[in-house]
Amino acid sequence: MKTLRPWFEERLGLGAVIGFLEKKEVPQHRHTIFYYTGSSILFFLGIQIVTGVLLALYYRPTLAEANASVARIVTELPLGWLLRSVHSWSSTFMIAIVFIHLLGVAFTKAYRRPREATWVTGVLLLAVSLAFGFTGYLLPWDELSLAATKVGTNLPRPIPVVGAWLTGIMRAGEDVTGDTLSRFFIFHVSVLPLALLAIVGVHLFLVQRHGMSVPLEEERKGVQGPVLPFWPNFAFREAGVWLILLGLLVTVAVFAAPGLGPQADLMAAAPEGIKPEWYFLFLFQTLKLFPARILGLNGEMVAVLIMMAGMGLFTLLPFFDDRPAGRKGKIITGLMGAGLAYAVGMSIWSLL
Amino acid sequence: MTARRRWISLLTALALGPCLVAGSLEAGSPDGPGAPAWQAADKTPAEESVAAPRPPKERMEVSVLVAWTWLSILVLFWLVRLRAREADRVYRLGLRGPTAKPPKGAGH
Repeated sequence: MKTLRPWFEERLGLGAVIGFLEKKEVPQHRHTIFYYTGSSILFFLGIQIVTGVLLALYYRPTLAEANASVARIVTELPLGWLLRSVHSWSSTFMIAIVFIHLLGVAFTKAYRRPREATWVTGVLLLAVSLAFGFTGYLLPWDELSLAATKVGTNLPRPIPVVGAWLTGIMRAGEDVTGDTLSRFFIFHVSVLPLALLAIVGVHLFLVQRHGMSVPLEEERKGVQGPVLPFWPNFAFREAGVWLILLGLLVTVAVFAAPGLGPQADLMAAAPEGIKPEWYFLFLFQTLKLFPARILGLNGEMVAVLIMMAGMGLFTLLPFFDDRPAGRKGKIITGLMGAGLAYAVGMSIWSLL
Repeated sequence: MTARRRWISLLTALALGPCLVAGSLEAGSPDGPGAPAWQAADKTPAEESVAAPRPPKERMEVSVLVAWTWLSILVLFWLVRLRAREADRVYRLGLRGPTAKPPKGAGH
């Protein structure tokens, strides 16, 4: 060990990294718990990559073999069902924590100057995570996943000018077919991971560049609060959080393993009870409630355009909320609270 | 409420009110556009196959696996907690700490 350390130090210069991490400080206050969410996302991302690679060794993205290969993974491979379940549940955990992370940043106004770009990359990471969920949902190629993908890929169609083109790009044609499955698989295992890693890289660089943000209310106190060195004090705490999350993940994956429906039939009618993953439920319920026509316009188009405007505003939030401590900032916080209540309410309504 | 805000509220109500009323009426009429895909369900999905093992012996093995996982996690958690406390103690005593001054400026 004593001889290995200098060898690695000479070639990799890890001492500089450790030195940087020792200098890096984590502020201590009543919102410190939100600092653990960032590393928890990376932890689940790691699990996703490992389990995803193992699943990809046996999965076959063709019309005839996709469903059968998943069935083979969960019935014939030793602990294959657990592998698939951990992959599926870790994606759910990861997206849930991405939401919590983003909401924590939003409500503590951590996106304020000079962290606007950090926020934008964070929202992009959420979008890529949701795209992972959407593309992964089709891969088992069962009845529900096919029907949900038909609905999901049809969403952009009402958008003027580019809608039909976007739907065609996603489906690799006019309808959802075996080509769509191949396209979703390629996106799921290569395009999206590359995009995610690139954005995570920029996001982490920006977090290191600007340091850990303190909530607005702490900053307004005007005194420097207590801090903790990142290495090793905070890193050990994060390791503890990871262990607990791992335990929860394994427990849920064992006792609530996702099932597999019968192979999708392209000619069959849509089955009952089509529902997307939980993170798309509020959008799904909103679309269901929108009238078919609004002042002569296609209601679906109006709904999709309103949603896109909402997402655009959310992405550009730091640029609107340029005075977070003032009245404008309070109004924006109120609107975000209302938006959150709406999303939770609609999701619950959709499940009833 | 200022006159400007009253005008904005009135115009918003005038713009959105007829939209919602007209949309709701038209959605209810039989001549309206066809139902979207998620409302056109006419077939009950076949039952999903359960992925987890069903035989009692395998279920017991899985439960033992979970129990061992939690036991290992609790032991590791205890060790990590000890290390964290030790690191905190060293930091409090000032034996090792950040040498650089904390960053200053907006947001720090």
